[in-house]
Amino acid sequence: MAFYFKLTSSIFLLAFLLFPVLASNDPSFDETLKVGWALADITPDRPVLIAGQFHARLSEGVLDPVSATVLAMESGVGNQTKKVVWISCDLVGISDGTRGGANIRDRIREQVIRLEPSLSPGQIIINATHTHAAPLVSSVDKIEEVYGVSLEKIASGGDAMPPAEYIDFAADRIAKATKEAWNSRKKGGVSFGLAHAVVSMNRLQALHTGKSVMYGNTNNPDFSHIEGHEDHSLNLMYFWDENRKLTGLIINVAAPSQVSEHSYQLSGDFWHDTKEELKKRYGMDIHILGQASAAGDLSPHVMIGGKAEERMQRLLGFEEDGTGRGSLGQRKQIALRISDAVTSIYPVMKDNINWNPEFAHRVAELQLSRRLLSIEDVTEAKKEAEEWQKRYQDMLDDLEKNPEKIKEARWYRDITISHSRLRRGLVVKERYELEKTEPKLPIEVHVLRIGEAVFATNPFELYLDYGMQMKARSPATQTFIVQLTGSGSYLPTKRSIAGGAYGAVPASTLIGPEGGRELVDQTLSLIESLW
Amino acid sequence: MVSTFKYFIAFIVGVSLHLHQLEASQIYIGAQSVDITPELPVAVTGQFHLRIATEAETPLTANILVLESRENNRMEELAVMVSCDVLYIPIDLIADLRKSVKQRIPGLDVNKIFLNATHTHTAPVLAEEGEYWIPKEGVTQVKDYRLFFVEKVTEGIVSAWNSRTEGSVAWGLSYAVAGYNRRIAYSDGTSGMSSKTNLREFVNLEGSEDHDINTLFFWNKEGKLISMVIGVASPSQEVEGRHAVNADFWHPVRMGIQEKFGKEVCILGWVAAAGDLTPHLRYRKAADDRMRELRNLSRIEELARRIIIAVEEAYETVKTEKQVTPIFKHHIEKVPLPERWVTERDFLDADAFVSDAKKQIANDPKASERLYRRMKWQESTVERYKKQKDNPNPVYGMELHVIRLGDIAICTNEFELFSDFGIRMIARSKALQTFVVQLTGSPGWGSYLPTVKAVQGGAYSAVIHSTLIGPEGGQKLVDRTVEVINGLWPE
Repeated sequence: MAFYFKLTSSIFLLAFLLFPVLASNDPSFDETLKVGWALADITPDRPVLIAGQFHARLSEGVLDPVSATVLAMESGVGNQTKKVVWISCDLVGISDGTRGGANIRDRIREQVIRLEPSLSPGQIIINATHTHAAPLVSSVDKIEEVYGVSLEKIASGGDAMPPAEYIDFAADRIAKATKEAWNSRKKGGVSFGLAHAVVSMNRLQALHTGKSVMYGNTNNPDFSHIEGHEDHSLNLMYFWDENRKLTGLIINVAAPSQVSEHSYQLSGDFWHDTKEELKKRYGMDIHILGQASAAGDLSPHVMIGGKAEERMQRLLGFEEDGTGRGSLGQRKQIALRISDAVTSIYPVMKDNINWNPEFAHRVAELQLSRRLLSIEDVTEAKKEAEEWQKRYQDMLDDLEKNPEKIKEARWYRDITISHSRLRRGLVVKERYELEKTEPKLPIEVHVLRIGEAVFATNPFELYLDYGMQMKARSPATQTFIVQLTGSGSYLPTKRSIAGGAYGAVPASTLIGPEGGRELVDQTLSLIESLW
Repeated sequence: MVSTFKYFIAFIVGVSLHLHQLEASQIYIGAQSVDITPELPVAVTGQFHLRIATEAETPLTANILVLESRENNRMEELAVMVSCDVLYIPIDLIADLRKSVKQRIPGLDVNKIFLNATHTHTAPVLAEEGEYWIPKEGVTQVKDYRLFFVEKVTEGIVSAWNSRTEGSVAWGLSYAVAGYNRRIAYSDGTSGMSSKTNLREFVNLEGSEDHDINTLFFWNKEGKLISMVIGVASPSQEVEGRHAVNADFWHPVRMGIQEKFGKEVCILGWVAAAGDLTPHLRYRKAADDRMRELRNLSRIEELARRIIIAVEEAYETVKTEKQVTPIFKHHIEKVPLPERWVTERDFLDADAFVSDAKKQIANDPKASERLYRRMKWQESTVERYKKQKDNPNPVYGMELHVIRLGDIAICTNEFELFSDFGIRMIARSKALQTFVVQLTGSPGWGSYLPTVKAVQGGAYSAVIHSTLIGPEGGQKLVDRTVEVINGLWPE
């Protein structure tokens, strides 16, 4: 299977080299826009491993569906049309072959093209909303290699769907939905706008010592300030049919959808609640395509003033859903805020529909400097790995002595944490060596201009500062940064590396600030080429 | 043994008294708004250069809220809060006002009055001397406006005092993006204030932003909304450069809220810690401006729109949570804060600037319009340095007010307090919500209170002339404020 994924990756890479620019950036003024939508339910019907924590989680049912929303766009007339399909998935990331063999991105593209040969791989953009309660798609290796115990043991002998099988399952469903969206495209109009909603907060706390922590206690005399910034803007794009009826929305919010990040039930997180709320307001057939803007250092968890937030959730009537951190009440509060923002500019958007927007798309493979690690980084990581190796081995030995333990609920939690931490320590050495022979990491970036707005993608959990740099320098009236169009690793800032919190340590990162600046500069060059 | 027993008894009595003080009593509320618009023309303050306003584009107001708790017809606790459409509140003006109020209401503890400035940059000069070289004729003189201000605010306090009746209160939290961080950090380690972001050297915004809208709603015994407090972490300086009198975004906020809730609602604007914040857009300006233009709004109307939506949302959510007997406690003290050290280099630079400015003004008196304020700003650094020679550990005593009202806390400071300090207070406070109120008294030059990173980055709001108190004093302010707040939550 690993060979298969490597082969398909190579084919697509070759396609990039042969066709570095897959759409014209010479917009004409007769850009008849056609739009189609579809929704794929990618909820598995068997237990799967849920991604997003160090420990394995075998799904224990479905809290709400995980889905993929497909937006098909075609601009122009005749044979020279420009085509883009945008797919937003309720997943933690979109594996793309850069972190192991798994590659759901290319699998989806392959399946789509099989059903709709008029599309090419570079015309298909796929992003993850970063829900931490969706199936694992980051690995096709044996689960024993990933978590240190087999899937059969985790499932206590029950029937569980391996990640490789789930990738095929999801890709098949998404491809069918893409075909449906493509076939249903009709003449449409578009409007874009800026609104605001407080959905996420910066999750890094800088201490007086100069160090930073993630999700630390701010109620502490050592707390100095929030390390980075926050972004409470909502970038919105509304799509309309010929009768000026709203057909769907792109909602771009600087927040990963991880309120329910510890759930053992599958869930689309706050995007599910947001979709439900917006359907109540605009009709059941409306489509919502969620995107996460640069938010590597952000999360929906409230770091300051949590009691006041919880009280407001209770007063809003969410007490029965639970209130506070990780609650359904908080998700519903977020859904209300996003929906209110959508509603607040709806009249202005309806009055400013562009039926003939300039439409231009470029995709490029950027070469970014890998993070330069030191031998001290390797030594420290190795030491940690050895500590975790011992803990893992002790637990494994204990399991062999007491095999009945696997009958206990979620027995595998601690041992899978140990194994994940062990692996995490070992990758630092691999990355250190790789930087010597392959100092550049190739990544795929898309820029898509629609009217005076532009979308710019990246595969990372991109720290907000980089997104702000792009927005500050972009020639577009509005710039939608879309992170996690790939497998995702943190891309931290210089100040965050100095602080040394979770997202900035060597084990969490492929690229450092140098590569971050390159990403910003090269993305801006691509954007500028569309103007 | 006897001694130990005495301490034990004293402890029990102390605790009992303390708990008794925190018992809930009926709250009485009075509110009044007064017009403090100056006679024109008048010198307005907030920029280095002199501006003479010949037009009042909006009225300026002082908005007064009197809170009293009573038990058996006896006053238990009191707070008189006055929000003013001005840049700052000089300390000596507070003394004048308290004296004036004492004459009118002898039974009122005037120390329980605190005033705050909304920080509008289009309001009259209030510092008695030394801020600008203001013409002696043809414009309203500072001393005359001060007398007018004291008279009007005294009238307002008397009116609010006399009108107080049994009432109720509720508090809420919502959000509006009304303040943006204005300190721009660059790749060389320096920071700029309100400088460019569309540069390759732009790295990040130096500090945080705080988009909380903290609200208090007050009803009379008939259940009619009579007053509200709106706390926003943004100074009202969107139209800061105008040669006019203008209450900035607070005017359309008040108009909009009064249109929805009634003309008699008295609205107090409090600025939370916002020394590094501004209502001006610092990046993605094109997108924001486009939306505003599509709505056909001015910038201050757009800010008002956001704040009003947030207030309405909070009101609708908390209006059923009215408290008639909230715990009410008002603590006042002078907090000793170490002053920021003026180095010899600071002194030499400032002294050179002052000498040069004096020469320029002597040669061309007209130069005073652009140089006088800048010269006085740096002259204060020269004076501080000289004082340090006699007292190497200068300490400033800041008047601190901390109020507990039900589950929320209100704490004041006299500075343009960088948002990180306010966030530290909120994070460590035991209160459900903590209303930080900045600019409740200005000792003179140097009202900014910057963070360590701001001092390292430099720029106007962090340089020595702008900062009487530095990061060390800021942390002491945080620690003491938190200590006092949490002392009001013994449970």
